Amino acid sequence: MSFDTSSNYFWRINGQKMQLYRYRKNSFLTPDVNGRINADDNELIYPDETISEGLRVEYNAYVKPFVDLDPNTLATDTNETTWTNPTLAEVTSPEETSHINLNRMLSLACVCFVQAQDAAKQGNIQLKEYYMKEFYKKLADNESNKRKISISLSSPVSSVR
Amino acid sequence: MTVLEVMERAGIRDTNLAIAWVKDAIHLIESTQAENLKTKKINITRNQRDYDLPADLISINSISVLDTEDDNKYKKIRRISGGHYITEDKNP
Repeated sequence: MSFDTSSNYFWRINGQKMQLYRYRKNSFLTPDVNGRINADDNELIYPDETISEGLRVEYNAYVKPFVDLDPNTLATDTNETTWTNPTLAEVTSPEETSHINLNRMLSLACVCFVQAQDAAKQGNIQLKEYYMKEFYKKLADNESNKRKISISLSSPVSSVR
Repeated sequence: MTVLEVMERAGIRDTNLAIAWVKDAIHLIESTQAENLKTKKINITRNQRDYDLPADLISINSISVLDTEDDNKYKKIRRISGGHYITEDKNP
């Protein structure tokens, strides 16, 4: 039975594999079965039990990069309660008419990336750097669009009101 | 936005090249932003340290292990770095 897994298990990546370790706290006062006393009271061991579906990996994936419909328009938009998102089917062999499965801001970032690669192909590194800067700027804008941050500043007691 | 619109905005005529660059851009976006999160569950096996990562993985968001003694919650675990003195553990 696994318990307190957040502090008992650790992971790391080694090449294409993920390595899972369990933390074991030993007693360095009590001798083991051979009568020896462990000098180190803590150690990492291999997982010492089988847990069905015990490991959960949450990751960013390459999911449906090209789709058949515009992902930025609603399928139905009758009123504020009856609306649905479009059902997107992946296009495995993308063509000019295929839609990029990204929102508008990230699609514009894609345009900057394509311009940067084209500039690099022409040997214009300065222009490439400019477009890459624009690319990352749009990524930052997209990220900040998801967050609403309010800043409140207190006025000093001695300030003139 | 369609591939054609990207090509028109960027002034590119080669469709295959444009699609390849758009794929690269999506890969770069997924590396830095959490746009398409997926989860996979893997069986933990006694005595086994190494586990396969999903082939479509671009970047890891979190790793959790099931806590069967706390109402079957998946609890986020921490990453370790550096070397360890254990090379093989046949009797954990």
